[in-house]
Amino acid sequence: MRSTRNVVAAKYDPEIGHYSDPPLLVLASLASGPKHGHAMIEDIAGICGTRLGPGTLYGAIARLEQQGWIEPLPAEERRQPYRITAEGARILRAKLTTLRQFTKAGLRRLEALCI
Amino acid sequence: MNDRLAHLLVRLYPRPWRERYGAELEALLQSGHGGVRTSANLIWSALHEHVFPTPGLRIEQSQFQSWCVRAPWAMFGLAPLLLLAAAYFVACFILWSGWNIFLPGTNTPFVPIDGLANLYFQVGRLIYFSAPILIGWAIGLVAGRQRLKAAWPAVGWIPIALIGGTAQVRANRTEVLSGVGHIRMGFALGPSVHGIPDGLFHALVILSLTVLPYLIWRLQKTRSVSP
Repeated sequence: MRSTRNVVAAKYDPEIGHYSDPPLLVLASLASGPKHGHAMIEDIAGICGTRLGPGTLYGAIARLEQQGWIEPLPAEERRQPYRITAEGARILRAKLTTLRQFTKAGLRRLEALCI
Repeated sequence: MNDRLAHLLVRLYPRPWRERYGAELEALLQSGHGGVRTSANLIWSALHEHVFPTPGLRIEQSQFQSWCVRAPWAMFGLAPLLLLAAAYFVACFILWSGWNIFLPGTNTPFVPIDGLANLYFQVGRLIYFSAPILIGWAIGLVAGRQRLKAAWPAVGWIPIALIGGTAQVRANRTEVLSGVGHIRMGFALGPSVHGIPDGLFHALVILSLTVLPYLIWRLQKTRSVSP
């Protein structure tokens, strides 16, 4: 399996820090297809440099599943894959749209600041 | 991670959560790297799950809940008093033992000291002063989780605050013939400042500190429920 450890190290800037919203990160990871826990950790580390701890990951998975935003697929040996539901995809789209608007507005203001 | 450690860490989660996600989390831990950071992350997450359980995975009717329903007077009246008594006993024991170990020649342990002796006495002080507040927070937490009306936690908060505010510790070596030293606890309102007895003022401070988190939590709940 591909390791993202080095990628994370290269992208990490301690002054900026990582983006960390575990439920949103899990939804974003599952948007590219079903995954089990370990694959999600690696995928999220590749997307944004945040390496979720197993407790944090499963805290997010439990809440997302209880909300009906993700669902389990048949287990593969001892691994349990999950996939995003239609409702989860709708929520993810809405959240990312809000983030995009926020990012755009923030960047426009920064450009106007001209420092 | 070591299989046994993984199993132990997963056992820290509440049973309903563990029954649903325990096996797959354990499999994930066994296949991945362990380490202090991972263990700390799991301990913190398990604690979080106990305090703020995932909706739909709450313990439906535990022994603890049934005690809250069957005997709330014991849960909110008696148990906090027993806990406070135990905490005061520990604090007094630390004071008494520290007095005999570090200050064998003095008539009172309330003298300026430094170094290890000071650290030892500060542990006792910390237990003595923080016990009423911590017990008050625990009462609020239990009442909040069990969705009880504010009357039952108040049964615990008021006596705890009054005891915490008026408690006084006295120590005297000369009163005992053997010279071992004698520590007594008493309760007094003390002198009045601006018309309010000192003990009552302290009780009000303790009450405010313990009730405030519960009130904020109730307010937030009310806001999140209302449209």
